[in-house]
Amino acid sequence: MKGKSQAMTSAVEMRHIRKFFPSSQVLASDDVSLEVAQGEIHAIVGENGAGKTTLMSMLYGLIPPDEGEIYINGALAHIAHPHDAIRLGIGMVHQHFKLVPSFTIAENIMLGIEPNRGGFIDSKAEAEVVRELANNFGLPVNPNLHVRDISVGMQQRVEILKILQRDAKILILDEPTAVLTPQEVSELLSVIRKLAQTGRTILLITHKLLEVKEIADRVTVMRRGQNVGTYKVSGVSVRDTATMMVGRAVTLQVEKTPAKPGEVVLKADNLLVAGAGGIPAVFGAGFELRAGEILGIAGVSGNGQTELVEALVGMRTTDGGTITLHGTDITHATVRTRRNGGLAHIPEDRMIMGLNLKTNLDENVVVTSYQHEPYSERGIFNFRSIRSLAQNIIDTFGVRSARVGEEIKTLSGGNLQKIVLGRELKGDPKVIIANQPTRGLDVGSIEFVHKTLVQERDKGAAILLVSVELDEIFALSDRIAVMFEGKILAVLDAATATEEQVGLLMAGGSLEHAESEKAQE
Amino acid sequence: MISFLNRYGRQLRILLLIVGILLLLFILFGLPMNLLQSSIRLATPYVLGSLAAIIASRAGVLNLAIEGMMLIGSFIAVAVLYKTGLDPLIGVLAATIAGGLLGTIFAVLYLRIKINLIILALAVNLFIANATVFFLRTSFGAFGTLADPSIRSLPTIQLPLISQIPYVGSLLGGYNAVVYISWIMVIVIWGVLFRTQFGRHIRAVGENREAAVSVGINVTRVQIFALTLSGMLAGMAGSFLSIGVLSQFVADMTAGRGWTSITVSLFAFEQPIPAFFTSLFFGLSEALSFYLQSRPELQLPPDLLLALPQIVTVLALVLVAIRIRAGVLLRRHNFATQFTQELQKLRQGQLIGDAPPKAPEQPASAD
Amino acid sequence: MNVIRQTLDRVSIPIIAILLGLAASSFFVALAGANPIDAYQRLFCEGFGPKGCATFGDLIFVQAEQEDGSFQTVFSPTYGAGGNRLALVLEQATPLILTALSAAVAFQVGMFSIGMDGQFVLGGIVAAFLGYWIPDQIYLAAGVTDPETASESLRTIMHLVVPLLCIGASMLVGAIYSWIPGILKIRLNVNELISTIIFNAIAVQLVGYLVNFPLRSDMNNIARTRRIDDTAWLIPFNRGIFADIEWFSGARLGIGLIIALLAAGLVWFFLWRTTAGYEQRMTRGSSLFARFGGIPSARAALRAMLISGALSGLAGALYILGVERRVVDGFATSGTGFEGVLVAILSKESIIGILLVAPFFAGLNLGAINFQFGNLPRQLGGIIIAFIILFSSMEDFIRLQLAKLTNRGRARRRDKTPGEAAV
Repeated sequence: MKGKSQAMTSAVEMRHIRKFFPSSQVLASDDVSLEVAQGEIHAIVGENGAGKTTLMSMLYGLIPPDEGEIYINGALAHIAHPHDAIRLGIGMVHQHFKLVPSFTIAENIMLGIEPNRGGFIDSKAEAEVVRELANNFGLPVNPNLHVRDISVGMQQRVEILKILQRDAKILILDEPTAVLTPQEVSELLSVIRKLAQTGRTILLITHKLLEVKEIADRVTVMRRGQNVGTYKVSGVSVRDTATMMVGRAVTLQVEKTPAKPGEVVLKADNLLVAGAGGIPAVFGAGFELRAGEILGIAGVSGNGQTELVEALVGMRTTDGGTITLHGTDITHATVRTRRNGGLAHIPEDRMIMGLNLKTNLDENVVVTSYQHEPYSERGIFNFRSIRSLAQNIIDTFGVRSARVGEEIKTLSGGNLQKIVLGRELKGDPKVIIANQPTRGLDVGSIEFVHKTLVQERDKGAAILLVSVELDEIFALSDRIAVMFEGKILAVLDAATATEEQVGLLMAGGSLEHAESEKAQE
Repeated sequence: MISFLNRYGRQLRILLLIVGILLLLFILFGLPMNLLQSSIRLATPYVLGSLAAIIASRAGVLNLAIEGMMLIGSFIAVAVLYKTGLDPLIGVLAATIAGGLLGTIFAVLYLRIKINLIILALAVNLFIANATVFFLRTSFGAFGTLADPSIRSLPTIQLPLISQIPYVGSLLGGYNAVVYISWIMVIVIWGVLFRTQFGRHIRAVGENREAAVSVGINVTRVQIFALTLSGMLAGMAGSFLSIGVLSQFVADMTAGRGWTSITVSLFAFEQPIPAFFTSLFFGLSEALSFYLQSRPELQLPPDLLLALPQIVTVLALVLVAIRIRAGVLLRRHNFATQFTQELQKLRQGQLIGDAPPKAPEQPASAD
Repeated sequence: MNVIRQTLDRVSIPIIAILLGLAASSFFVALAGANPIDAYQRLFCEGFGPKGCATFGDLIFVQAEQEDGSFQTVFSPTYGAGGNRLALVLEQATPLILTALSAAVAFQVGMFSIGMDGQFVLGGIVAAFLGYWIPDQIYLAAGVTDPETASESLRTIMHLVVPLLCIGASMLVGAIYSWIPGILKIRLNVNELISTIIFNAIAVQLVGYLVNFPLRSDMNNIARTRRIDDTAWLIPFNRGIFADIEWFSGARLGIGLIIALLAAGLVWFFLWRTTAGYEQRMTRGSSLFARFGGIPSARAALRAMLISGALSGLAGALYILGVERRVVDGFATSGTGFEGVLVAILSKESIIGILLVAPFFAGLNLGAINFQFGNLPRQLGGIIIAFIILFSSMEDFIRLQLAKLTNRGRARRRDKTPGEAAV
């Protein structure tokens, strides 16, 4: 682990941190050690599941580490709760702001510590305190504006002031630029620089490497729960960092013959879909999906993938652009119409969306087809055919411990996903949208899912694979699209695409930029 | 429809304002004084009841047991006065305390034992409705009503200077203590919610629980306090019904006013001052129905007139819902137009993909 | 084995809730100066027991006095002398079953509508009116001036047709009155709990008006409507086919119960065997799953409201046509519809549960009204019910305490430990 040698003690030192989540069998932190110098802007980068947020959550007292120690300013610290962290001078700005919309900026910043006389709030003093605070840090705000009326960038500033008011000397920012406009991003970067100049230490969790290049002193790359390395930002290129982020070549091998793509079956054009807080989550994304191919959409989660999928299947309103299925416009069609047109959906969350765990296997298996024969005739169920469908799925997909007519809530993740697959694929769908289809599954189940998807492709189905796991994308896709900030940045041929390229795009870079960087070396 | 509202929104609002003012003038000067006075009197349970609903809703808990809290207030006021023969204000105090106690119990059952809110509220209301009549019988030997000369109703208060002002004086003076307390309570609750730390915390808990938790506010404690306060206000409202208007307790005398109070709170978007005026309006509709009943020459059936406040309530509910829905649709419409334009600009300006972020020192690139 | 365990599991909580409810209420009994055990014995005897019932044991086997003065042990539920209480219990359970089904159908789709009261009384008044108006029109058209002289065949046809028309109309009115709050919720997100409560109040006032003015038949002290024609009457068992069986005397139990049981069966079939019912069950609370699968939830919710309203309207019609035969002032405020809601909540919306709880509820109320035990007013019944509801909704809490007690903590399978989501 490279790093600057310090004359002063480090602001933060995490030694041999280990964290294992038994319920999902994930080793989120695998003997992670981290050292952050005082006054440093330290970026922690990694894909989804790399473990960066878990690590910072432990630093902030949201979850306890299984093993390892944390030292703040050289002293061993026991951080069992965010209040301990706050007392030690650690503040965290989360991705989802915790502000009260109808309150003013001052009221939000001073929530819980309002200056008062016998319970009556001294608003003037409050505004004064906030104005002074803001000016001290060069982050001017109008304390009397209501939070619901200000921009997202300003809201973030309020969150930062909130932790500064509580004497934060170590600031953790979790994906701070996820919701900002380009202008606001540059403002934030200069704010971070200013804060570092006051001697404060900034920890930046991000996957956007260009910003890291712009602002950070050092960067720690995390992958699969491990600290892959810490480097001076000036000494490492974006391209190399991206490569480290995504790791070595594909560890996953899936047997497949080259694709024979047919006509375009699903087309999305210039989509505009609203996300939380009135900001677009999908901002002009578009693609063409052909029969007999797998188009993988890669990207760090939170860049609009969820909203894109929801809009494609009909569970979220599309505010702009068009979606076409077999030439028919389905932009505003119902879920049922789309399904009747041959669209199948393997959802991100099998437990809440894909299945109804409160009921039995039969009722789950029939939710997309119950209105058709032979499962029902003139409104009355034909249970025999439903039972045989269920049994068929159990047999074909090898669902263990499931029995026709019985509850499914005790089944393992892998078996549950097999039920979902069985149901979705039963009708020989023409278009399959698979969203994180192997999340939380064991190796055997992952293999099975991959094999099944390839089989479907070979039968002529068009598959849109949305996944944050790069191995999966590379293993399965015939073409790879990268989604970043609501747009599809590029679509590459899987045969020739490299992890570097894809990693770079996922981190917000552009291929031309990478070329120019390369030229500079 | 949305574009219509958009374009003429301002004119529509001005029109509504004018209609509202005309209506107000008609009410103030066109209707007989005693009708106005009873409107103000009858509004009192709604004033206090809606404040009770507001303070609970603001803390994030819909208090559906206001009906029961009012009823227990009505009962306790009469019971205490009957047993002790003391000043009626003691009855009001006792009712307030009883309501508050019920509020606390409700809060603990909901927040700590986590009983489903609606079922809990129904059970509480059911219990109070039956328990009051039960004790009426067993403790006081009364069947269905408790009335007695020893139960004194609240005396009316003449305001010294104000009652001499010609028109306004008779409008503002001569009511009993609870009526005046209710007016004061509007200001008090407003003050608590918007000027005190406690109120600030209540609103934070109700609007964004996460935000409150993140700064260390004990959400459960705040909610328990809010519900207790809510119960106190509702209890006081109940005391007005039993010893403010009449001086007796009648089974089920709250007659749905608790539910109407919730509607008032919804209609006023949980703000005390608009709730006060809305309550006045409901008081008017109640007074009107009594008034019209007392005018046999108009031959209006009393039952339908009694339904008048309820019908007004339904209309109020629908109006609120329409307004909220229109707001949602408008926001969606605005979003779509704004960002479609931005998307177009983006398309014209550059290829897909962002240019890398530039720090302010360097000149901005063509974005 | 598993089935028995499951059934025991499901039944134990309601039984515990009932026992706890009785225990809590005994506090009030004691407060009123009475002995709870004695009071409850009297309560249950008056509610469920045969003639001569005095103790809990008598509920099952009682000493019946014979003609010759001796006593014989008989099985209480079938003992008919003087009319068996259970007949009255079943009579009163009939509208409860239907209104509880009505509530259950609404709750099943996520609508917390408690408009059963309003739908019930509207159904009742419609039946009360049409019960004489339709026969009037028929007699007029047939040129009959005195109903007694109408031909046998005409009367037979009318006996079949008139009640059907009345019931149909009541169900239609109930359905519409339930649909309105439904559409308000679907389109405008108006809270259906509050709106149905207000709609109930409006219906109550409306019926009160109708009874007191346009439909008032005689200038009796208490306003009431004209009695329905004999051809509209659903003759109770004790006046019709079972007139000579003493068990039925004392209660106007009639075909209404059969219809209610049939309705229960139909509702069960609808919910569990048809696609429409399936849609409604999956929709509960706008389940993401239902949306994901393409189920038209809004349509399902509205359909549930229509069915719910029709069931309560049916309850009202059966009550008027079978029991009261006219609407008397005060009918509207009896609160029968709301009691159905309570039954539905207590039975956790299971059809079998409703069929068991409704008679229990009816008997409890009956007992409370009749038992005249010292000073105890009939509101005791309501207090007991309130406590039972409270305890039965504390199911999770009770389970937790039980688990702690027996130290057999069941490890609950949870998918994510805190913080894991943020990896």
